[in-house]
Amino acid sequence: MAKTVTQYFDDLRDTRVWRSIFRSGTGTSTLHRSLAIQQNVFLHLFSTKVRRRMVSVGATWYLGTLTLGTFLILVITGILLMLYYHPSVPQAYADAKDLQFVVSSGLFLRNLHRWSAHAMVFLVFAHMFKVFYRGAYRPPREFNWVIGVILLLITLLLSYTGYLLPWDQLAFWAITVGSNIASAVPLLGNRIHFLLLGGNSVNANALLRFYVLHCMILPLTAIFFIAIHFWRIRKDGGLYAHPSEPATLRARAAAVGKEAQ
Amino acid sequence: MSDSKDFVTGVDSNAKKAPRRVVFITRRISAQVKAVEEETLQTFPEVLFRAVVAIEVLAVVLVWIALAFNAPLEGLADPSHTPNPAKAPWYFLGLQEMLHYFPPVVAGVLAPGLVVIALIIIPYFNINIEAEGVFLKDRDRRLKIFYAAAVALCVFLFLFHVYVALVPTLIVAAFMILAGQSSLNSRSTFRRYLASKPLSFWIMSWFLFELIVLTAIGTFFRGPGWSWVWPWTRY
Amino acid sequence: MGLTSKFVSFWQQLFGDSVRAFGTVSLVLLISLAIAPAKNHFSEWRHYQKQYLKMIRGRGEAVTLQRHFQGDIQQVWLPELGVVDRCTTCHVGLKEASLVDVSTQPFRKHPVIPHSLDQFGCVMCHRGQGPATTVQEAHRSTLAWEQPVLPAKYIESSCGQCHRWELTGTPTLNEGRHLLTANGCVHCHTVKLPDGTTMKATDDPPSLSHIADKTSREWIFAWLKDPKAYAATATMPNFKFNDDEARDISAFLIANSTPVTGDTVGLNAKAAPDPSAGASLYGESFCASCHAVQNTAGNLVGGNVGPELTRVGSKVKPTWLQAWLRNPDTYDPETAMPHYRFNDQQVVTLAGFLQAKSDSDLLANVHLDPSTPEQIAHGKHLVTDYGCASCHEISGIKKPENFAPDLSRIGSKAVNQLIFSQGMPHTLPDYIAGKIRDPRASSPGLKMPQYTFSPAQIDSLTTALLSLNERSHSLPPALTVAGTPDSNYQPAGKAGKLMRDLACFSCHRINGHGGDMAPDLSWEGSSVQRQWLIDFLKNPNTLRPALIRRMPRFNLTDAEINELTDYIMTVYQSPAVDRDSMPLTGFSPTQVEQGRQLFYSKYACQSCHIVDPKNDKGYIGPTLTQVGSRLSSAWVYHWMKNPQALRPGTTDPNRNMSDDDARALTAFLMNQKGSAEAKKK
Repeated sequence: MAKTVTQYFDDLRDTRVWRSIFRSGTGTSTLHRSLAIQQNVFLHLFSTKVRRRMVSVGATWYLGTLTLGTFLILVITGILLMLYYHPSVPQAYADAKDLQFVVSSGLFLRNLHRWSAHAMVFLVFAHMFKVFYRGAYRPPREFNWVIGVILLLITLLLSYTGYLLPWDQLAFWAITVGSNIASAVPLLGNRIHFLLLGGNSVNANALLRFYVLHCMILPLTAIFFIAIHFWRIRKDGGLYAHPSEPATLRARAAAVGKEAQ
Repeated sequence: MSDSKDFVTGVDSNAKKAPRRVVFITRRISAQVKAVEEETLQTFPEVLFRAVVAIEVLAVVLVWIALAFNAPLEGLADPSHTPNPAKAPWYFLGLQEMLHYFPPVVAGVLAPGLVVIALIIIPYFNINIEAEGVFLKDRDRRLKIFYAAAVALCVFLFLFHVYVALVPTLIVAAFMILAGQSSLNSRSTFRRYLASKPLSFWIMSWFLFELIVLTAIGTFFRGPGWSWVWPWTRY
Repeated sequence: MGLTSKFVSFWQQLFGDSVRAFGTVSLVLLISLAIAPAKNHFSEWRHYQKQYLKMIRGRGEAVTLQRHFQGDIQQVWLPELGVVDRCTTCHVGLKEASLVDVSTQPFRKHPVIPHSLDQFGCVMCHRGQGPATTVQEAHRSTLAWEQPVLPAKYIESSCGQCHRWELTGTPTLNEGRHLLTANGCVHCHTVKLPDGTTMKATDDPPSLSHIADKTSREWIFAWLKDPKAYAATATMPNFKFNDDEARDISAFLIANSTPVTGDTVGLNAKAAPDPSAGASLYGESFCASCHAVQNTAGNLVGGNVGPELTRVGSKVKPTWLQAWLRNPDTYDPETAMPHYRFNDQQVVTLAGFLQAKSDSDLLANVHLDPSTPEQIAHGKHLVTDYGCASCHEISGIKKPENFAPDLSRIGSKAVNQLIFSQGMPHTLPDYIAGKIRDPRASSPGLKMPQYTFSPAQIDSLTTALLSLNERSHSLPPALTVAGTPDSNYQPAGKAGKLMRDLACFSCHRINGHGGDMAPDLSWEGSSVQRQWLIDFLKNPNTLRPALIRRMPRFNLTDAEINELTDYIMTVYQSPAVDRDSMPLTGFSPTQVEQGRQLFYSKYACQSCHIVDPKNDKGYIGPTLTQVGSRLSSAWVYHWMKNPQALRPGTTDPNRNMSDDDARALTAFLMNQKGSAEAKKK
């Protein structure tokens, strides 16, 4: 039985169509398997090989993977939600109501988007702390850590801008409270506040601005940095394995050498 | 220190298995390669499928949550009716809790700004690379600095009546004191574990602890006028 | 194979390698994803639609109902009103007249109303959340929707959103609006009506600037403690003052009072010797038309225009009462009390009669020491604090503005902004009703006084208040039915002065101004015959003998009567009725006989009116035995044609008479001149 499933899959991969799309065919050799990664525009960001130790759940808890998973869910549900949403006052709220009451599975879509967004914020934090406690931020991965911090901020901004879109009391006042913090910045506070909201208070301009940020600017920025984040995992020597992996040793040796000078 | 022959360079012999690498050997250490060639898996299909399965499991969980619980939707936004309390999204409630105690410049700008900067520069600190227990070297001087810093922080929090942040600080400080009294030769595993932790570990743990406590308090324990309420009381 | 190994092998089958695991988990994910559309399919509204189809299947008119039925989500969409009502998705049979026997919701038929559902939707009247398609969200108060479906007993409030004036068919709303103005609510609370005007109080709280002339400090004290103890009909609510507060306020009011010249007199005239003369005079003057007195059985007898007089002797000073009866305008130029032309003996007799109406218990326990300046100062502070000047004129204290919360939009007040007292359901109607019932319950330190409304009155008030909402203010003007607000009409000249002196407007309405106790006199000149009017003013007798509220005799001089009659006959004419277009007499006997036939058979007028006192039993309309001496024939003719055109709101039905019928009936009625005996009287 085990073979049948795999065989079916292999048969599929041997078809002309599959090959025309994915360029590589079946074959269990390391070369074939490496090509499957290397010849895919998305997968080639990853290394072709991963240490077995790092594949176990205990090593990373798959937190980075799961964060990517929430991001994908958010993109898909987000695009579907955009079909039903007008970023205008008070139509935005009526749209949220219509999603709930008349759009087929609209409430489910909104629920999934909302809970996934919360999950993503949580997972990003969890990922960060896990990486820290594993010591995986150490050279040569320091810049990937910085990208991670940037992605954390983008995630928070994504969640924050999305918070306003239903245009209900919860949204309005959460954004009002949040944006007022920006006013506290010395000297430039009010200007930043104005820039953020497109006005002096949360109004239709702010809704439009947050909509564009939430659906366009921030997701694209996030995708950009996510790509770099993954690519750097490969370039920095694969997933970090404490503490005897060569990359770490190299860095330590470099540090020791510097000390010795 | 300008002596360039402080170390010798050599070439790893097993170039077939591993990429070519340069080994720096100082006089103080012997030329030993500690790295062992680890067993690896092909990303395709092993790792890729695992990742996809992980994502799918997450998706299943989220789908069930979405089926079971409706996302909150309140009344139409009304600028003239301020709900009490008006709360920011949950991940900012730690910040909002801080705003309750400190002026906005401190709690809203300075504190988060410093946190972000600190997070960014963590890996660039030399001290982290060593990853040595904070009190293993130069113990007395470091303990003195630690006591001074800890007392200063606690007094500061006390003066601003930030008891919710003071309690986690005291707990972390207690563990650090215990770490200071332990060494890698301590009998208990837990104390050996504490003794081995570097400064960055302690700072990050303190930060994580504060983050969780403040966010939890902001989310569950704050009611009208940001007064203390119990999660089960209705207001 | 043990159970464990079985399980292990099963696990292996599902998750043995990564491809298997991928397949299994993918399948689980797809199934999970399929639940959402399934959940959609089993939604509440589909369930109700299925139930409806099942219900109508067994009925005789199933085919028709089936044809009318439309599946899927239905909605009434009225963009200009902001209405998106999907109620008809579940309430499928609203328009099915044949479902009159169905009593289970949501399939009940809508009762007949003057409006079309398609024109107004549902939530305009019923509130609730129109766009919602679940029972909970549509009907109840939820996190996302504060205004639940309005309980049926308040439904008339929705009529009041558009209908800004009295409306037959909304008695509760009318009563509530009346109570709002008659109980002085709007003295303290501003109520801006959607038409831009402000609701005006119709009660007339007395000025307190000269109160020392009128009454004693002890009485004020007792009154402040509990107005109902003095008069069951007291309009003033109970402020629940304690003894010290009542003492200080009374001290201030007496100290603040200034005397008015002529306000107090001591007449030398002797009262009439007959001990029952006072009572007779009270009766003859029809004081009871406006004033009520509690009889021995405890029932109030009399009108409610003026204050109740049960214990008036314990209140007023004799010298003030005499002056007041002689000419009330001296003390209060704005009073609703007519200026009777009593002679001194009548004044003394009536004053004596009234003074005897006292209650020794009322002031028995009131012992006040002379007031101190501190008490007076504190009293003034209290008077300001409780907003007494909102209702009463008090010299030296300005009427406070916006003393109490504005109620112009109370009907859509956000529930989360209300402070509910313990155990009160968290809905707006419950809050309003609770607030009226027990104004100070929700939090300490509130100043709103305690009223004593019946539960029905509280419901009426709540209904009227709920009609004052955002929607009523934002309706398109085309939808609103404006009212005819009270005009400031004032008659001119000497006659006008006389009419004000006699306080005609306390009872009569003319050109949109005045009371509603007595007939509207705007077209009186077209309506009555001159001689009848003169006789009536000399000695008013009533058209409806069953009424106790009658026009009193003012003892007018002939000159005054002429003045008044001339004015009424000249000025108060209807443009539709030319008094002189028809003769008053000279109708042919055939026409009279034809009219009689029509009166008794075709139109059956005798069911409400009396022409022949021996046989007719109609007491609803006025007695018509002397109508030929009273009314002008042109008026009678036009009345026959369309009563509502002459007096809007009259209960006399419009019978759509032909000209001939109307003419014949006019002839018959104008022939009813009354017996010679009655005429003489």
